[in-house]
Amino acid sequence: MREHSDAELVLLARSGDGDSFGELVRRYQRAAYAVALSVTGKHQDAEDAAQESFLVALQRLDDCRNPARFAGWLLAIVRNRSRNLIRRESLRGGEQIPVSARTSDPGPDRMADISALRGRLKEALNTLPELQREIVLLHDLEGWKHDEISERLGIPSGTVRSHLHFARKALRAELSEWRGHA
Amino acid sequence: MREPVELSMQDDNPVTDLEILDPGYKRPGYWRQRHAAIMERVAFELARRRAAARESVAAVLTGWSRSLIPVGVAAAAIAAVLVATEARRDAQPEPQLVLQDILGDEADEGSFESLLSTGRTASAGAFMALVEGGTP
Repeated sequence: MREHSDAELVLLARSGDGDSFGELVRRYQRAAYAVALSVTGKHQDAEDAAQESFLVALQRLDDCRNPARFAGWLLAIVRNRSRNLIRRESLRGGEQIPVSARTSDPGPDRMADISALRGRLKEALNTLPELQREIVLLHDLEGWKHDEISERLGIPSGTVRSHLHFARKALRAELSEWRGHA
Repeated sequence: MREPVELSMQDDNPVTDLEILDPGYKRPGYWRQRHAAIMERVAFELARRRAAARESVAAVLTGWSRSLIPVGVAAAAIAAVLVATEARRDAQPEPQLVLQDILGDEADEGSFESLLSTGRTASAGAFMALVEGGTP
């Protein structure tokens, strides 16, 4: 069976077709999480922001003027929701950038090593500008290609490549420094 | 000895290390569960949209009926009047054509009188010639 385009799914979802919206969620839930993580830096916040963004997107689906560009429109919602979440948390006195206590004491087994690396990666990512973080996560975590990122975020392809290059360079530097200390 | 986690951050290779930031990493079923949670969260909005779509279909039909019914009633009334008129016309007897009518149509009133008064129709032959269109 032919796979529906985003535009077709959006039009069907507008009349309440659950399967169509479910397919949109399936396609973009990882990207939504990656973008939310790039903004919040915390797994739980990213999870919440991504979930709430899908609800907001459905509520405002009639405002999506170009259904073929649903992904970019959705990710803009994710970005805004994530920033609002951070703002609310900072008002409540919560910490914005997670500091993993496990990084200093990774423990004896591989899982601890992975946890340590995960914590360190998040810290390293948080040193990057938000757009670079988003691009590197969409590319290396979600697996989107340069052109897909360019089209969906509305950024020139050369700019995407450039941001990706500098993001990786910065991450390499951060991680090699950490490996040197570990 | 611990197995080191490889850090490959070359620009020409995907940064596989970032995989560990994927919540689904070593947690099969994570994304399926998230999908279910999101769908549960949006269920009410989907139901609202379905109801709105049904209402809009009903509204279109109602709109059509609202304009179609008066037009239909008017058309039916006009048709009834036309049929009744036709039926009344059919019920009337065919008018019988008699010689007097034909003569009356062709000769206007007073013709006979004028003819008689002028004295030009003194004879029966001259009168008949006048009636038949000839000259006396």
